[in-house]
Amino acid sequence: MRRFKTGAMSYGSISQEAHECLARAMNALGGKSNSGEGGERPERLGTEKNSAIKQVASGRFGVTSEYLCSAAEIQIKMAQGAKPGEGGHLPGKKVYPWIAGTRYSTPGVSLISPPPHHDIYSIEDLAQLIFDLKNANRDARISVKLVSEHGVGTIASGVAKAGAQVVLISGFDGGTGAAPRSSIHNAGLPWELGLAEAHRTLIENGLRQRVILETDGKLLTGRDVAVAAILGAEEVGFATAPLVALGCVMMRVCNLDTCPVGIATQNPELRCRFRGKPEYVMNFMRFVAEELRIIMARLEVRTVEELVGRRSLLKPREDVSGPHPGAVSISALLDDGKDAPAHFDPDAVFDFALEKTADLRVLLPAFEKTLRTGKPKTAAVAVSSVDRTFGTILGSEITRRWGSALPDDTVTVEARGGGGQSFGAFLPKGMTIRLTGDSNDYFGKGLSGGKLVLCLPKESPINPGENIIVGNVALYGATGGEAYINGMAGERFCVRNSGAKAVVEGVGDHGCEYMTGGCAVILGPTGKNFAAGMSGGVAYVLDEKHQLYLNLNKELVSMSAVSEKSDVQELRDLIERHAAETGSPRARTILDNWEETLPLFKKILPNDYRRMLSAIRRREEKGMPRAQAELDAFTAVQRGER
Amino acid sequence: MGKPTGFLEYARQERPCAPPAERLDGFREFHGDLTPARRREQGGRCMNCGVPFCQSDYGCPLHNLIPEWNDEVFAGNIPHALSRLLKTNNFPEFTGRVCPALCENACVCALNGEAVTVRDNELSIIEEAWADGLVIPAPPKVRTGKRVAVVGSGPAGLAAADQLNRRGHSVTVLERDDRPGGLLMYGIPAMKLDKRIVLRRIEKMEAEGIEFRCGTEAGRDISAAQLTVDFDAVVLCCGARKARELGLDTAGVSGVLPALEYLTAATKAVLADAENPRSAAGKNVVVVGNGDTATDCVATALRQGAGSVIQLVRKPRPDSAARVWPYPAAGVKTDYGQEEAAARFGRDPRLYSTTVKELLRDDAGALRAVVIATDGREKELPAELLLIAAGFSGAEPETAAAFGLELNGKGRLGDAGFRTADPKVFACGDMRRGASLVAWAIAEGRACARAVDEALEGYSNL
Repeated sequence: MRRFKTGAMSYGSISQEAHECLARAMNALGGKSNSGEGGERPERLGTEKNSAIKQVASGRFGVTSEYLCSAAEIQIKMAQGAKPGEGGHLPGKKVYPWIAGTRYSTPGVSLISPPPHHDIYSIEDLAQLIFDLKNANRDARISVKLVSEHGVGTIASGVAKAGAQVVLISGFDGGTGAAPRSSIHNAGLPWELGLAEAHRTLIENGLRQRVILETDGKLLTGRDVAVAAILGAEEVGFATAPLVALGCVMMRVCNLDTCPVGIATQNPELRCRFRGKPEYVMNFMRFVAEELRIIMARLEVRTVEELVGRRSLLKPREDVSGPHPGAVSISALLDDGKDAPAHFDPDAVFDFALEKTADLRVLLPAFEKTLRTGKPKTAAVAVSSVDRTFGTILGSEITRRWGSALPDDTVTVEARGGGGQSFGAFLPKGMTIRLTGDSNDYFGKGLSGGKLVLCLPKESPINPGENIIVGNVALYGATGGEAYINGMAGERFCVRNSGAKAVVEGVGDHGCEYMTGGCAVILGPTGKNFAAGMSGGVAYVLDEKHQLYLNLNKELVSMSAVSEKSDVQELRDLIERHAAETGSPRARTILDNWEETLPLFKKILPNDYRRMLSAIRRREEKGMPRAQAELDAFTAVQRGER
Repeated sequence: MGKPTGFLEYARQERPCAPPAERLDGFREFHGDLTPARRREQGGRCMNCGVPFCQSDYGCPLHNLIPEWNDEVFAGNIPHALSRLLKTNNFPEFTGRVCPALCENACVCALNGEAVTVRDNELSIIEEAWADGLVIPAPPKVRTGKRVAVVGSGPAGLAAADQLNRRGHSVTVLERDDRPGGLLMYGIPAMKLDKRIVLRRIEKMEAEGIEFRCGTEAGRDISAAQLTVDFDAVVLCCGARKARELGLDTAGVSGVLPALEYLTAATKAVLADAENPRSAAGKNVVVVGNGDTATDCVATALRQGAGSVIQLVRKPRPDSAARVWPYPAAGVKTDYGQEEAAARFGRDPRLYSTTVKELLRDDAGALRAVVIATDGREKELPAELLLIAAGFSGAEPETAAAFGLELNGKGRLGDAGFRTADPKVFACGDMRRGASLVAWAIAEGRACARAVDEALEGYSNL
């Protein structure tokens, strides 16, 4: 049962009770439960309720350093079997305050994961993300979830070369609860096809030993598992069946928040009706394992390894009935005389060469004492663009030992040079990296409480307000912390930011896209499509040429002057800190001419977010405690309060 | 689904019903209906389950499209509700009154709350449709020229006749009693199912071209051979009326009646407004049995003015009302008859773990008391009328024998395809299945009609 997993169902799509039940059951069995893409409440991490597999999807909800460090396996979701080409859907009515809290988003606002990962546009980008996640948790194996489709074998080979240790081929039969009807009926392929192709292609490319193949998509019985193994799977995932074990009656109302058995709902009244117990899931898994054993015994196979890839054991049924018997040829799944029993070999696993990273060579030895004692220290180090994912391993060690309890600036790294990709990714609280120079793409990816400062060398002749000093997709998926950038950023700055505060002196296209929290201050021009899909957080833009209204995507947000006292204070504070951290002349000028400059600032606030904030504030003013005010405001806004 | 959160917002509300003590003075129905607004809410409680257990094998034998018409009830769209309802159920006005509603046991709402009022919603649709003039005779446009005889006019026979007629076959229904309807007419007492409701349906079927020949017993009034000559197919649905016997020596004792005989006499007297020699008026009545028929006997005896009513149950009293969804409750089920007896005499009429051991008669041979064994001791209960409602052991063999057919070991006739040894003769209903529910009888009649149609036409679109 170590090979058994539960499917990726997020906390949000299913209730806390159901989510924890699955985790406890799988932990007790030695299998693995999957957190899904919605984050996990910090109090569960590291306990028996911890999900062993932590998913990282395009939405990056709740992907913090702690979240990653708590994983035995980190899964990158490239797509979902039931709805290939689409991201996760969480309808607004299920985004209760506690879900929004876990996801760093706004209650009541629908969460749609973007179809692509904004940091993956090529297989090299995926390799980079795999490397980042391996740095963020060296003990975890990295898994990549693909869907069954024609050509998936080629993709699987690429993924294997990119360093993934597990490749999941997901079929179309499962995962249909809240998926759009058009996808349920018309998208996807059976896992059998994709799995067989992936297995074969990996063998042809000499990569099969490097990865564990996994499959899921409405596997229900030991027979399903046996067939999956024969077609090449070494591990299998179940989702529908364990939910049924927990009481699911397949109402197909997962999208309506009215699940009458308390599983696919967040409504407290319905959650009380949840009757599931971890034991039910454990029993189910045991029975599946037993059935698999019986089948294996009948096939005279002793271990699952022996079974993997033995296609000669499959034969087509002869009693196929239906309107078109024989219309489908399944010969591609069957024995072609080139039976290739091959499986994962731990010795063939991809070598990330982490010992060559700056973190292991320089940073860890330098801060060894600080890690133990928490005594502040500063170290200087020279970097170049080959130092990818700089600071992440050190960050993960901080998280492991200190969680998020280390005071700001305890660990300070003074770096000089050109930063590589994913500079300072997943940096936790207590760690600061000050980079003098410039930096490549994915700067501060997944920033989770740490501080990043990027400034030009004093001797540099260029004007930071006019030159891009940090690459694309900076601060993608940041959940907390601060970043001060004395220069312009490239495209897709602060995409999916959900908690970090950032100051920058200009951004490219698609800035602040899909943002759900945090604050971005832009002391200069923006590119087009600014704030698209932004549903939370706030952005302040210095709009000297009055062009912002042309670049703003006004679908979800509105633009206003910065007039409220608290807003003015927040903005000024951030600019002052920017000036202090980077010595930015531009910040200095703005502060010196504050009264004249302030009217040029525009505040970008998402409409739903504003509605929610004011509903909460109204209740707090009446003396309601924060938590109650949030829930009350959530229900009221759902019912149409403006 | 009309209202996703309906089941959270509205509580289950059943049809209003007259208090037990106030309904004993006659044989009229004692349920009213909710106001239209309340009825709509009850329709809105349906959750439109992805897997509707109510219409699965755990629920409705007819596989009624329950979520669909619940939705239409919520929308207040009776014509649409009716068309979906009639798609699977020929006679909702019967099942809406007398069905024990397996659908409600299997309702997902009942998993951790109270079931949707499926049966009441059904009844409300069909009654409103009758009232609005939506249920009108629709004779088939084309006749096939084939003739089918249906022997027996209970729910199975009526359903088979209705389906075959709809297909264009010319159907003749033979009924040995004086009125059509079988158990619907004489088995179920009038306060549960008003006989005008049955006749209303029969009239509609007659208007659609079905011929009813009452007082005609196949094999006696018309020979089986004649029937197989006159008709292209014969459907036997004569019920499972053979009462299970208690092994008592009843020879020469008056005052011991099988339940069906007693109930038939009671309804006949009500319909004719005549004296009933088998009435329980003024008598001490003992009923043996724990099923719906026993309940009907209790309730009928109370209405006739019985001096006392005791119901003897062979099995021990179940200890709990524990219920495993989606099955019916296993515990004590207190039906309308027991409620009424309790209201009339101050206590539940049932005695458990006991049955009649011996009959005591007076000098004229009339029953005066029964001896029962309870807790290992024998006890004498005064009784001038003993009603045996201990179930049915199968069909009466005569009709089958007239066709040269033999019942199987369980007293049944007909295989899974509704066929008998005679290729022209089919069997369905309780006769094939054993005593069961009205909903099952209708399902049997429909399926049998399909089999007959296939045999006659080579295919069926029923």
